[in-house]
Amino acid sequence: MWDLLLINPFTNALLWIYDVLGHNYGVAIILFTILIRLVTWPLNGQQLKGAKVMQDLQSDKEWLDIQKKYAKDKEKLAQEQMRIYKERGINPFASCLPTLIQFPIIIGLYQSITRALATTPLGLLQLARGIYPSLLNTSAIIPLNSHFLWMDLGRPEGIPFPAGFTVSFLPFGFPTLAIIVAITTYLQTKLTMPPPSTSNPKDQTAAMTGMMSIYMPLLLGYFALNFASGLAVYFVTSNVLGIVQYAMMGRVNWRNLLPGAKQPALPAGKKK
Amino acid sequence: MKSLKLISLVLLGAILLSACASGAGTVTSWPGLAADSTNAYLADGNSVYAVRLSDGVKVWQYPDKAGTPKFFATPVLTPDGQLLVGSAGTDDALLSLDPATGKEKWVAPFTGAKDKWIASPLVVGDMIYAPNNDGTLYVLKLATGEFQWSLPISHSLWGTPVSNGKLVFVTSLDHFLYAIDPQSHKIAWKVNLGGSVPGSPAVSADGSTLYVGGFTKKVSAISTADGSVRWTAATKDWVWDAPALDGDTVYAADISGNIYSFGAPNGKNAWPDNQPDGPITATPVVLSDGTVVVVTESGLAYAFDRVSGKAWGVGTNIGGKIYTTPVVSGDLILVAPLGADSLLAALNNGGNVVWKFTGK
Repeated sequence: MWDLLLINPFTNALLWIYDVLGHNYGVAIILFTILIRLVTWPLNGQQLKGAKVMQDLQSDKEWLDIQKKYAKDKEKLAQEQMRIYKERGINPFASCLPTLIQFPIIIGLYQSITRALATTPLGLLQLARGIYPSLLNTSAIIPLNSHFLWMDLGRPEGIPFPAGFTVSFLPFGFPTLAIIVAITTYLQTKLTMPPPSTSNPKDQTAAMTGMMSIYMPLLLGYFALNFASGLAVYFVTSNVLGIVQYAMMGRVNWRNLLPGAKQPALPAGKKK
Repeated sequence: MKSLKLISLVLLGAILLSACASGAGTVTSWPGLAADSTNAYLADGNSVYAVRLSDGVKVWQYPDKAGTPKFFATPVLTPDGQLLVGSAGTDDALLSLDPATGKEKWVAPFTGAKDKWIASPLVVGDMIYAPNNDGTLYVLKLATGEFQWSLPISHSLWGTPVSNGKLVFVTSLDHFLYAIDPQSHKIAWKVNLGGSVPGSPAVSADGSTLYVGGFTKKVSAISTADGSVRWTAATKDWVWDAPALDGDTVYAADISGNIYSFGAPNGKNAWPDNQPDGPITATPVVLSDGTVVVVTESGLAYAFDRVSGKAWGVGTNIGGKIYTTPVVSGDLILVAPLGADSLLAALNNGGNVVWKFTGK
């Protein structure tokens, strides 16, 4: 069912772009990622708005007061929080729901990119079965031209070391793309998350931001190091597009890149 | 407590992303099978197994401990008593094992290829011709595995080469069939078949003709002299692996599950519509009595009468999915399913299961 509803349509769309654009899989991945970003743009917008409202609430005087007042009465605290949500028309799940809807789309995107590469016999058999014959001439487009710039998109990327020079933990050469993935992931996490609030030292969002900005670049960098470089191209494209989208919505926090940058404390009760 | 929650969330995200990305680097194996008169040799998943034919008991397993290599290529028994098998892993080694003990025979495996081994090597004289997924044909010395020369051909090479004694023929996913001259180390000729060819060609007994399938819904007969096409015969879907040659008959099967019996001289199909059950990727196997054995992705093995093309009985259910070409040794037909409760099953000529090997 997952294949039928998501992976196969995505794979066919990706291969159609590949076919139309003169058989360049790298460009097809980039354009397909842009296309998916455009389709999910409204969802991203909702997510951003929801996240901003919740972030603002963390610095709100009334919100901080009830946290302090009912710190030992969780039930009462929950009631008071719900009251504030209701009074201000805030949906606490407004930032989560779009993310949940987008998650299968992102997974589908990942899987369609790797499926189209079909680097093994079973992978190729699976790909062949998922292609719509009315849309694509399967015989003509298989095998995919997986070369893009200096990379073979079906293999982990690495610029070969000079002859005689080896690094045991870098079997594929110098991992340029993995480093770019880690840097762009770090930049996106840093730039698109609100800065830590000085008015609420227990701000959970800030704590999460700090953790994400460390772990996500490492995690995605690790994937880029070990998996097909087609995925890494997707990671970089997605990260850059994420930053662009936030910038267009005026939500990029350039101050976050400065070491020790803090958001100025707001006057008590003032809403941003 | 809060830190614990945050760490849990990050770990959960990591696990989900790992699951998403897993398809990019690690995939299910494609079992490969060979046999001599005493043992079956199965390359499956992360191991190569030697299994005694008399009772289905494991003789040895390579590597001894669970390792990182994966195996897609069919092991090859050589005339001088080696078992060659290509691996997929960090060093993509081509290994020589002792069929009796499972110990490595060469001083060091060949690790000069840039990608995994999906095709099996071909041995001609004292040389090994090994096509790699990196698009290069590597030629090694049979006795030692020492590199001799290589020929960059093109896109991924998945089919085991064949030879007529003069030229070595290599198929490619790039749509071409290549004839390599081992003397000059050059391509003698190449022919565009119109679609990828993941399987091998079959070469006629006199060495004059190749029969090859591929992703163009046809089987072609090609002259080994110059690559000219002698005939093509339409199939209903892609022919994944090599056709089987038996006298003047070329048996082929497609991934929609149709089986064909083409006349070798003219490509005329002698069998009526024949679609037993499920897609077929494996080469049909012809037994000494002329019975044609076919295995399907549905996990069944069928036997067909060579003249009428009619199936005998309803097929033997092996389980799992069968992609690998069966191997015949003595009175046994060996079948290697994928994702079944066993890694290997031995059938007798009546289609009854004699034993199953589970890997233990």
